[in-house]
Amino acid sequence: MRIFRFIAFRLGIALVTLFGVSIIVFMAVHFVPGSYEDVILGPFGTPETRAIVRAKYGLDRPAVEQYLHWLAATAGGDFGTSLTTGQPVAAEIIRRAPATIQLAVMATLLAIAVGVPMGIASGVTSTSHFGRAAGRLVGALGASVPVFVLGTIFVFMFSIWSLGLTVGGYVPLLEDPMANMRAMTLPVVTLSVFGMALIQRTTRDAVLGVTAETHVTAAVARGERPPDIIRSHVLRNASIPIVTVTTVYFAYLLGGAIIVEQMFSVPGVAVYVVQSVKNRDYLAVQAGVLLAATVFVTINILADIVYALIDPRIGGKRSQS
Amino acid sequence: MNLIVRGPFAGILDFARRDRLSGIGAVLFASLVLLGLIGPVLPLGDAEEIGVGPRLAAPAADWLLGTDELGRSALPRIIEGLRATFLLASMAVILTGILGTLVGLTAAYAGGIVDVAIMRLVDVLFAFPPLLLGILIAAMLEPGGTSAIIAISLITLPLFVRVVRAVALSVVERSYVIAAEVSGAGFLRVIVFHLLPNVLGAVIVQLTYALSIGMLVESELSFLGLGVQPPDASLGSLLRLGSVYLTAAPWLVFPAGLLLAAAILSVNLLGDGLRDLMDPLRGRSLR
Repeated sequence: MRIFRFIAFRLGIALVTLFGVSIIVFMAVHFVPGSYEDVILGPFGTPETRAIVRAKYGLDRPAVEQYLHWLAATAGGDFGTSLTTGQPVAAEIIRRAPATIQLAVMATLLAIAVGVPMGIASGVTSTSHFGRAAGRLVGALGASVPVFVLGTIFVFMFSIWSLGLTVGGYVPLLEDPMANMRAMTLPVVTLSVFGMALIQRTTRDAVLGVTAETHVTAAVARGERPPDIIRSHVLRNASIPIVTVTTVYFAYLLGGAIIVEQMFSVPGVAVYVVQSVKNRDYLAVQAGVLLAATVFVTINILADIVYALIDPRIGGKRSQS
Repeated sequence: MNLIVRGPFAGILDFARRDRLSGIGAVLFASLVLLGLIGPVLPLGDAEEIGVGPRLAAPAADWLLGTDELGRSALPRIIEGLRATFLLASMAVILTGILGTLVGLTAAYAGGIVDVAIMRLVDVLFAFPPLLLGILIAAMLEPGGTSAIIAISLITLPLFVRVVRAVALSVVERSYVIAAEVSGAGFLRVIVFHLLPNVLGAVIVQLTYALSIGMLVESELSFLGLGVQPPDASLGSLLRLGSVYLTAAPWLVFPAGLLLAAAILSVNLLGDGLRDLMDPLRGRSLR
C-alpha cells in the first residue's frame, strides 16, 4: 500500500511542477516584445486587421481566460498553429521528434558503453596515486570541454579527413540507414562525451563507495576472483546511482541538444524551439518549452517509481521531501 | 602558536600538497583569473583596434595569435573574452549563492507551507532545460550581459537551495538552535548565527559547481549570439564569429576554445578537491 501512496505523492508533485512551468512559460511568452499582430501582419497592419487577428487568437480576452484556454487545448494535444507557417505546431514537433529521440538514445547508449567500463577501471585502479589522478582527470576533462568547442574540433578534423562522415545532410533513419549514420555519428559522439564523463565519474564514485563495504571485504577474504567480485558484489550495488545519473542525462538530452542540433543541422525539436523564439512564433515556443519540461519531469518520475519498486528502503517517510 | 607561525596560507598549501590535481586546478584557476583581471593593462595591444594587421593573418610576432576578419589582433580579444566570461559567470553565481543560501535556510528553518512552496518553485525552475531557459530570457529581455546573468542565476539557484536546505535540516533540531530560540533569538539571528556557519562548507562547494555551469551557459548563449553583444567579446562569441573562417583561420577558434575548456576544467578540479575536503570519508577506500 505504501508504494501506491508514494507513487500518488510523486505524481502529485509532478503535476504541481508542470502547472508552475506552464504558468511561467505562458507569462514569459507574453513578455516577449512584439505582438501576434506584428508577427502575422508585419508592417501592413491596419486597426481593423489588427483587431481581427486579436479576436482570432483570443487576445481580446482576459489573460487568465487565455491561459486556461491554452492549457486545456495543450493538454488535449492541440498546440495551435504556427504564426509564421500556418501549419499545426504539433505536426511539426512530431515530424522532428525522430531526429531528437535518435540523437538522445544513441548518445546515451554510447555514453553508457564508454562511461561504465571507464568508471570501473578508474574505480579499481584508484589504489595507486597515478590511477586515482588519471581517473579524476579524465572525468573532469570530459565534463569541462563545452559541447560547441568539441563540435568545432570535430567539424575541423572531419573537414580535412572526412572518413565517410558528413557534417549535416540528415536523412531519416528508416529512409536510408547508412546515410543517416554518416550524418548522425559526429553529433552523437559530440553529445555523448559529456555523458561519458558524467557516467564515468558516477560509476567510479559508486565503485569506490561499495568496495569499502564489509560484504566486499568478506568476498575478498573468501578468495573470490576479482572479476566476480566486481560483477556480483560491486556493480549490482553501485548500479542505482549510475541509473539515476543516466536517466537525468537522457531526459536532459531530449530537450537540451540545442547546440548540437544546430551545429550539425539535425532537424530536431530543440532547434525548432530556438528558431521559433527568434521568429517570435509564440505558440510554438510555449508548446516546445512545456513539452521539454514535461518529458524531463515524466522521465524523472518514472525513474523514482522504478526505484521505489526495486528498493524497499525508498518510499518511506524519510524520502518524501 | 603553531598556527601563527605557519601563516594564513599554510592550510591552502597543505591542501594542494595532499591533493595534487586540485592543487593544479587551484593554481590554474588563480592564474586565469589574474590574467583576466590584469589583461587590459598587459602590453598585448588593443582588443578593439581595427586594422592592426592584414585580415585573417596567421600568427606572427606583432599579432601573436593571428588577426580576425577586421584585422584585429586575436590575443587581446581572447583575454577580453576570458574576462567577460569570468566576470558575468562569477557575478551571477555570487548573487545566486547569497540568495540561494538565504532561501534554503528559510525553507529549512521555517518548515511547513513556506518550505513546501519554496521547494515546489525550485522544482519548477529545475524542470526547464537550462539553455532553453537562457534563450527564453534572452528573448524576453534584450540579449546581452544582463539577461545572461539572470539566466545563470535561475539555472543555478536550485543547486544552492536544495543543498543548503538539506544540510540545514540536519541541524535545525540541534540543542544549540533550540537554546538560541529559548533565549529569545529571532528568525534572522538563528539563521545567520546558528545555521549559516553549518552550511558554509556546502555552499562553497556548490559555488564552484555553479561557476562551472555559469561559464558553460554564458559561453553557450554567446555562441548562439544571445549573450555578450559585439563589439564586446566573450569566449563563446569569439568561437561563433571565428568558426565562419574555421579552415581559413583556425587560430581564431582553437585558442579561445582551449582557454574556455581550461578555465572550466580548473574550476571543476578545484570543486572536486573542495568536496573531498569537506567530506573526507568520500572516495577513500580500496586501501
